[in-house]
Amino acid sequence: MTTHRSQHRSQHRSLRRGLAGATAALALTLTGCASYGVDPGAEGETGTITYWMWDSAQLPAYQQCAADFEAANPDVQVQIEQFGWDDYWNKVFTGFVAGSAPDVFVDHTSRFGEFAARGLIEPLDDRLAASDVDLDQYVPGSAELWVGPDGQRYGLPKDFDTVGMFYDATKAADAGLTAEQMNELTWNPTDGGTFEQAIAAMTVDTNGVRGNEPGFDPSSVATYGLGLENSGEAFGQTQWSFFTQSTGWSPVDEAWGTDFHYDDPRFQESIAWWTGLVDKGYMPPLSYTQGGSLDQQLQAGKYALITNGSWNIANYSKLDGVDLAVARTPIGPEGRRTMTNSLGDSISTTSQNKGAAWKWVQHLASTDCQDVVARGGVVFPAIASTTPAAVETLSATGLDVTAFTDPIADGETFPYPEILQASEVQSIMGTAMDQVVGGDADASSLTAVNERVDAVFD
Amino acid sequence: MPVTTTASPPSAASSAPSGPARTERKPSRDTAAALGFIAPALLGFVAFYFWPTLRGLWFSFQEYDFFDRPRFVGLDNYSRMLGDETFWNAMQVTLQYVAINIVVQTVLAVLIAVLLQRVTRSVFVRSVVVLPFLISNVVVALLFYWMLDAQIGIVNAAITGLGLDAIPFFGEQDWVVPTIALVNVWRHMGYTALLVFAGLMTIPEGLYEAGRVDGASEWRMFWSITLPLLRPVLALVLVITVTGSFQVFDTVAVTTSGGPGDASRVIQYYIFDLAFQRLEFGYAAAVSVVLFAILAVVAFVQLRLTRANESDLA
Amino acid sequence: MSVQTPVEPAAAGPTRATAAPVQKAPKDRRAGIGRVVAWATLVLIMLVTLFPFYWMLRTALSNGTQLATDPSSPLPVGFTFGAFERVLGLSTTAEAQAQGGSGAAIDFWLYLLNSLLVATLITAGQVFFGAMAAYAFARLRWPGRDAVFFVFLTALMVPPIFTQLPNFLLMRDLGLLNTYAAIVLPFFFMTPFAVFFLRQFFLGIPREVEEAAVLDGAGTVRRFFRVIAPMASGPLITLAILQYIQAWNEYFWPLLVASDRSVRVLTVGLGIFRSQTPQGTPDWAGLMAATLMAALPIVVLFAVFSRRIVDSIGFSGIK
Repeated sequence: MTTHRSQHRSQHRSLRRGLAGATAALALTLTGCASYGVDPGAEGETGTITYWMWDSAQLPAYQQCAADFEAANPDVQVQIEQFGWDDYWNKVFTGFVAGSAPDVFVDHTSRFGEFAARGLIEPLDDRLAASDVDLDQYVPGSAELWVGPDGQRYGLPKDFDTVGMFYDATKAADAGLTAEQMNELTWNPTDGGTFEQAIAAMTVDTNGVRGNEPGFDPSSVATYGLGLENSGEAFGQTQWSFFTQSTGWSPVDEAWGTDFHYDDPRFQESIAWWTGLVDKGYMPPLSYTQGGSLDQQLQAGKYALITNGSWNIANYSKLDGVDLAVARTPIGPEGRRTMTNSLGDSISTTSQNKGAAWKWVQHLASTDCQDVVARGGVVFPAIASTTPAAVETLSATGLDVTAFTDPIADGETFPYPEILQASEVQSIMGTAMDQVVGGDADASSLTAVNERVDAVFD
Repeated sequence: MPVTTTASPPSAASSAPSGPARTERKPSRDTAAALGFIAPALLGFVAFYFWPTLRGLWFSFQEYDFFDRPRFVGLDNYSRMLGDETFWNAMQVTLQYVAINIVVQTVLAVLIAVLLQRVTRSVFVRSVVVLPFLISNVVVALLFYWMLDAQIGIVNAAITGLGLDAIPFFGEQDWVVPTIALVNVWRHMGYTALLVFAGLMTIPEGLYEAGRVDGASEWRMFWSITLPLLRPVLALVLVITVTGSFQVFDTVAVTTSGGPGDASRVIQYYIFDLAFQRLEFGYAAAVSVVLFAILAVVAFVQLRLTRANESDLA
Repeated sequence: MSVQTPVEPAAAGPTRATAAPVQKAPKDRRAGIGRVVAWATLVLIMLVTLFPFYWMLRTALSNGTQLATDPSSPLPVGFTFGAFERVLGLSTTAEAQAQGGSGAAIDFWLYLLNSLLVATLITAGQVFFGAMAAYAFARLRWPGRDAVFFVFLTALMVPPIFTQLPNFLLMRDLGLLNTYAAIVLPFFFMTPFAVFFLRQFFLGIPREVEEAAVLDGAGTVRRFFRVIAPMASGPLITLAILQYIQAWNEYFWPLLVASDRSVRVLTVGLGIFRSQTPQGTPDWAGLMAATLMAALPIVVLFAVFSRRIVDSIGFSGIK
């Protein structure tokens, strides 16, 4: 039938037309699909370099640094971009994938190992050797944190931080505790030492009975002596690391180690003690901690004492309605311990202006810039000589911030644990610790978990 | 006013794709015009949906971390999925979420739409109902995360004020999925209601008047007139909401990040974690393909069951 | 004695006049109770819908550094307009930081303009091309139509992880990063929702209307633009509004492809109010104020067009 054949022909014609259109579209999208490997970049010395950071509170200080740098290097412009922490790593990651990563960016000890292992950031050793950067000028421990799994350096430290205790001075006074006592609390995994006594005294139930008085009702607490943020995942930087490491334990033996020790009785004992605080009513149940943040709970009077990092000093000092004070972490069986970490600046391998980027990194790591940052009053810069200026600025908040800086001088710090496959390990430990602290599993279950963590590296 | 369309069984001719009697009439004209009409949408579809999906399917047979060459591993990713506890847990969590979310949301949406149509035509009410949809997913999640906090949230303040124990909405394993589901219901029920409402507008008023003349109650008219004639729109709403529900991500990412434990680790969050945190894009692609296949089957079944291709009106 | 038989109104009047008197009373009462219950339900739903908005307003008018001192107070804590000033870029860094804000600059009006432009472009494209495609799937006859429609539908189910990165790479290769085009293009030509939604409505258009147009000699194009589309004005406007809101609230895609300040949209710009540091808190007051301000244009839009939907002649087309 003629109609049938003409129908066929027109179908073919339209089919062909459709195919042509589709192929054109395909051709458009085919580009960029077969380029693997990392672009080696170039050693450009001039032009615009992009610099990414996440802490908006430090923007003014770094904008000042950039202005000073551009004045000294007229043929280099620094373009600073700021993205909040929640979006930051996604942006960096997609930037790497698309080859549009920033020339320089603020890097974190928990992330740079993976970047280094994949050749995404520049090792700096050769450049360092050719420059006059003195690695000894940095606070002890901070520069070492930037040595990668292959022994090369991947960043210069910008700042350092430690962990301490923030507490409501009024509540402490009501419990009969002085500032000196709070600064010299002792701890052990068996009975919690004077630390447990202190938080028991600061815990108040809904009938006004304190945690160390008879008749205390752990199921109906108005103010918890010790606040809880979350289960701490693999390292518990601000949650429990100062307890566990003060027993002489550490999750791995050295940086980039692959043999984990979550099966160690010292660790499990400490965690069991810490979880036990929930049953005693001194710490809220884990299920209560999803939602409002630590500082909100402190401000609302729900917590008397919280443990957190020095990077929050500026934020916490602004909290109205709380008579805030700080204290050092308690003294454990092997002494007082606090975890120290340091942020650094890394250069992307894909940068086309590595020469200029290195100049910028050197400026960031110089006393000139870090003095500006110190006076910005948000963090402690890494160059030891700038610490007094930072302490002075931060002390203007009324808090005794030497509680965060003295441990370095006293040799009481241990470094942030550095491992490869960090997200895998954090994922396993996060779930496991949630179950232990939530009361669904015993601390001894962490032995089996340790095997799973070890297995990640097989 | 003569009512030309009644609730009669669908005529066979209106839905059959190409019954022989019809196609003889100017087929080529329709085909050419049709291609012209769908050309832009087709371009968008192929460039931004179809091609990336094909590539994703290809990656699901590889081991790929974005930076090195992909390594062909055949069906390894798929067989790994079979034994992956986290995957099965994620499927179960997601199914639980979808069930609660869809049932509550659909019932509420139809209820609201009917109320909007039969009780009041007020523009104010209609605007209020759709307001939650104007707030971005992320902000809604943050807001409820705070309002439902176990210690300082306003909702628990009311609950403890009544003398009951505080409920850790986001912190308790048994509560977290229903909570997230209901938060999303809050955001979407107005939007879904609007969709249903638009469908209700297509039902001729005359049918209801005829119904009233016959002495039918509102309830009876709802079941016999409204629901059957809403079928195409309800089919649309169900496919859209079920598909969207399976892909929940923002709320979880901003609040619980999969916790407590694995209680809210929905499938899309697991995929995101695999791809962007653990750099296992091949495996993530395989899980995505499986999710995609499940959604396609579910949608197909839904469309078939509701005979969404037909309308009782035409 | 004059006999006055009351003239019954025409049958089109209220039912009660024609119902048997004996059934009148119970039906009235049932209808009455039913109406009360219906109204009560509606009011309850509206309260549940509105309460979080009240909470947002209450927070937006509070002082960020005092917020948690009285978490269950129904009134703003430390009443201040500081948050709105921060959002509009009217407060200095020092003022902002004193109230718990971050002090980073925010160019509210520029971002607003960008959002308006982007959302309008996306909506226009989606509704126009979507309507055309929906018509082709609903009323035109061509081989493989339903199969192709189902394939189109599966675009709904494509996991975002498949599309985000490749689309990002495509934008980069086309040199479109940090332009409006990058934000708009993936959404411009079609969204499966629009095609699906409109197809369902086009399916419901009585064939008689179309056949009448065909008899009048109208070609496909004229049929579509002159007859069908006007009839579907209600659904088209509904779709336009819904898609506008979706486009307005897009966050992750614009963040990815267009974070340059000149093309930044409102949602990305207001991300500054979320927590900026690990374990930090959002600038609650600023975030709530920002959200309310970002929703305002849509509320206005919706209020204006709501009436249009009410007044539309519905769908039957034959009166």
